[in-house]
Order: sequence, then C-alpha cells, then structure tokens
Amino acid sequence: MNEQLGYCGTNIPIKIYGLSEKSVTVGFGTTIDHDLLALITDFNQLLLQNPFSGLITTVQAYTTLTVFFDPLIVMLSDLPGQVCFEKISAHLNKIVQIKREKSSTIPDKLIIPVYYGGDFGQDLSTVARTNKLSETEVIDIHTAGQYTVFMIGFVPGFAYMGGMDPRLSTPRKEVPNAKIPTGSVGIAGNQTGIYPMETPGGWQIIGRTPLKMFDVNRLQPSLLKGGDMVTFKAIGIKEFNAYAEI
Amino acid sequence: MSMKISIIKPGLLSTIQDMGRYRYLSQAVPVSGAMDELAHRLANKAVGNDDHNATIEFTYADASFKAETPVLISYSGDGATLVCNNEIMPAEKPLFFPAGSVIKLIHNAIGVRSYLAIAGGWDVPDVMESKSTYLTAAFGGFKGRALQKADVLVSGTLLSEVSDEILNHLIERSLTYPNWRISRESLLPENRQTIRVVLANEISWFDATSIISFLTNSYTIDKRSNRMGYHLSGKPLVRKVKKELLSTAVTPGVIQVTGSGDLVILMADCQTTGGYPRIAHVAAVDLPLCAQLKPGDTIHFSEISRDEAEALYLEREHDLSLITMAIGLKYIKT
Repeated sequence: MNEQLGYCGTNIPIKIYGLSEKSVTVGFGTTIDHDLLALITDFNQLLLQNPFSGLITTVQAYTTLTVFFDPLIVMLSDLPGQVCFEKISAHLNKIVQIKREKSSTIPDKLIIPVYYGGDFGQDLSTVARTNKLSETEVIDIHTAGQYTVFMIGFVPGFAYMGGMDPRLSTPRKEVPNAKIPTGSVGIAGNQTGIYPMETPGGWQIIGRTPLKMFDVNRLQPSLLKGGDMVTFKAIGIKEFNAYAEI
Repeated sequence: MSMKISIIKPGLLSTIQDMGRYRYLSQAVPVSGAMDELAHRLANKAVGNDDHNATIEFTYADASFKAETPVLISYSGDGATLVCNNEIMPAEKPLFFPAGSVIKLIHNAIGVRSYLAIAGGWDVPDVMESKSTYLTAAFGGFKGRALQKADVLVSGTLLSEVSDEILNHLIERSLTYPNWRISRESLLPENRQTIRVVLANEISWFDATSIISFLTNSYTIDKRSNRMGYHLSGKPLVRKVKKELLSTAVTPGVIQVTGSGDLVILMADCQTTGGYPRIAHVAAVDLPLCAQLKPGDTIHFSEISRDEAEALYLEREHDLSLITMAIGLKYIKT
C-alpha cells in the first residue's frame, strides 16, 4: 500500500499512503523537527504552485502533508496510472524531483500582543511554581522566545507552536477546563498555543491576546498558518482594550 | 420569487448543510456538511437542484414546519417520514404544497437523519464557500446555529431549468406530486449493518489477533455519538507498537483507536487532525450508512482494497449522474 522514495536533496525517505478515496498523505520522517517543517512547508508551496488537476487543498502537520482531491477530475487527467493513488503518486514524485534552493520559502513573521496573568492568565502562577520561576520571569522567557507554527488543528485557527524555552515546560491540566475564553494563550508540555474560540481545553493559560486568531470575514480566516514564525509581546490592559475596540 | 417556510417545531437538531467546506481544512475548519451525503444529494436531485444546494438536516422526527408560500420540496433519509393532512408523503420525489400547508416529520425507526430540499436551495449566506452549519464555532448555515421555533427560511430565487419545469408541471391549488421517484434503495446494499472498510496506515501497529477481531466481531454504537464521531463499544483492540502518533490529517470515515483500544468513527464535523492511530477508513460509499446509525445499533466491518473502494465510489458517482440525466430528460425537450 505504500511507496518508498528518497526525498531529493535530503536522505529523508518519503512515504505515500491513502487516507480516504479523496485524500492521500505524504509522510516525511517521524519526529518533530524544524528542518523537517521547513521541508514540508516547501513541498506544500511547490505542490500548490504546480497542482495536478483535481487538487482541492492540502493539510500540513508535524511530519505529513495530506492532499485532498476530487477523484472524478483526477481520473480524467492524463497522469500515468490506473487509479487515483497511482496518478497522484506520479505527480508527487515529480514534485519531489523539482530542483530547488534549500528552504526557498521565507516564513511570515508575526508579533502577537498578550496581556499576561491576572484574570486573563489564571495559570501563570502554576507555570511559575512548576518551573521554580517568578511570574515576571515566565513572562520574560515567553516573550524572549521565537516560535514556529508546526500545524493548525484541534479547532479552526488553533496553531500548535514549537520552540518554547524548556524552562517553561508544564504538563497539561489533569482535568480540562470546560470553557477556555477566546484568545487565551496556553502552555502544554513544550508547546505554546492560542485558543481562537471558546472551547474546552487542558492547556495552562498564562495570558490572553486581543487579536482575532480566527475570523470568518478575513480572506485567510486563520491568522496563523503552518511554517509561520511568531513572537509574543507583553501589553498592559489599556493597550489590550484599545485592540479590542478595533 | 422565493419560497418560504416557517419552523413550527425544530426537532432535536436541525441544521442547514451542503456538500461541506473543503477548502479551509488547512486552517483546521472541519468539512461539516450533510452526514448522509447520499440522501442530501437525492433530495436535491428530486427537485431539480444541484447537489451543492443546501438542505435541512433533521435529526429523528418530532419536527414540523409550515409552507408560508407555495413550495416545491423533497426529502430523503431514514430519520423521519413526512406527513401532511395525515397523509404520508413519498420520499425522493418532488412534492408541491400550497401556501398554508403544515408538514410534520413523524418517527421512522430505521435511521437518524433526513434531508429537506427546496427548489433553488435554502438561501443562507456562504461562509468560507459553503452553507454548512458548524455549531462548535457557530458559523455557517442559519445564523451559525440550529433551527429554532419561528425561524423563517427562504429558498434561493435562481431555479434550475429542471426545477422550473417540475414546478410548472405541479403548480396547482392543492398538494400534488408526480408518479416517478428516485429509487434510493437501488443505491444502498440490502445489509446495512456491514460497513466496508479499507485498512489504514497504522494497521501494523495492532497485533494480529486484534486485526482479526476488528474484522470479525460486531460493534455497538455508543451513546457518545454525534456529528463529530461515533464511539463504538466492543472488544478493545490491543496495540503491539506503543509509540505515539504525531497529529496528522484525518477526514470523515477514518476509524481511530483510542488509548483504551476503543474505536471511534470520525464523522462530518470531526477535527481536521488527530493523534490516535488509525486502523481503517470507511469506504466512501458506505459512509451514508454510518450517518443513519443510532446508539444501540450493531455493525460489523468487512475489508475491501483501496482500489475496490475507489471503483465503488466511481460507480456510485456514475449512477448518480444517470439519475440527474434521467430527471432532466423527463422535463427538458432536447
């Protein structure tokens, strides 16, 4: 059911498997890694710039890129193969062989304003206590870091970000909160993330951003996408409210 | 001119749905759309609509609505039977009701969901290129929510040529419908308890006994079942590979195995990514059968190959295109 290939320019084996009649997944390695993320982001860009007929969309994750398609259109294409899986694999193999500069995709950089602690970040003290830091130190370390969006998942616009300083690492809550407010910035293990809408959740909440992380009225509803670079900026309540009024 | 209905009784869960929202998966926006896509499409076809027009997905019965104008509607699915003036209305057939008609959904023990189509489709705004309701994030459909008492729904005014002709043939002072109907039964297998599946990428993570058990034992739909997914109760599966799966894309039909070895079939509103290993996915042609399963129903899985699943899908699409063509030929002189 799988095809083994070497990824051009790297020694990472890629593996293509069917997910459903309308989707195939390309797997790249098995560990979370910044270089791998750059490679998948790159592969995604190349595929979107060189789509096969019938391609609908792609979903990027930690080590995979999943390609969604319309089988009726794919079957009409002149790609080699008797079934969609063969035809799409043939196209993906062509993409693999396109020669490119290393990391040709330049990531978008975003600064996210956050009001830390207080009612907006009720678990800031837990994160501080767990790591034997003061609350101010937690804020300083969190805002000093540069984060990479590995994938968008869980709920619309929820970005899983890696690259957090291990000094802030805190386990998820044993009992998840029934309602985490929109904009809450949280920590789970070694990852940080922002809740784009009110949902149940188990992350330790350290603050809140006034930015709309997901807005159906925007051309790109999710503020963040896979491959983006993010930094956080601490703001006061006045600034928070000024954002909220926009 | 648009047609109009008002909701008298909304029922357990009634939402506007279409063929789903596929272009925003990368932003973690679920597909949503009709759980039973086949019934949704047949209801649309019966009034001359495009498959992509929005329908109302009703969950079970105990709902009713009133035609505020003359309406051309149709319904399909296994959750309810439509009744007007104590007369049972045939499914998968265009139905013309004069203004003032009160139409009730009464209990139909077979399944869960029924779809109500109107000529021109239900007119609600497009959100990210779809009219489907996604309740968790409160967007799409009718104001991002389930239908409530006294809601007024209107149809799109742009009728297809076929819808126009069906309406011209049926428009009268009283309730009327033609002799023909679409045979939904001919598209469904006789045995609706057998769900065909294609084994998934992580199949080798399970021990051989568990794989055999998955393909031979029966499973019961648990109470924890909704538009996001169905929990199944049955013999838990045992994993021989204990490593964690890094979250990766999933899609409706995928069968995940939770930490305790239980099966979950992902359905229309499922998350776009998941971190549980997958044992199989439900063949696209059998997903409509899953949409009609209710807590307590028992199913078992039967393995087919990826190529067979694709061939079945293409054959189903071909059959559906023939139905569209046949209805067109009845009404449009070439």
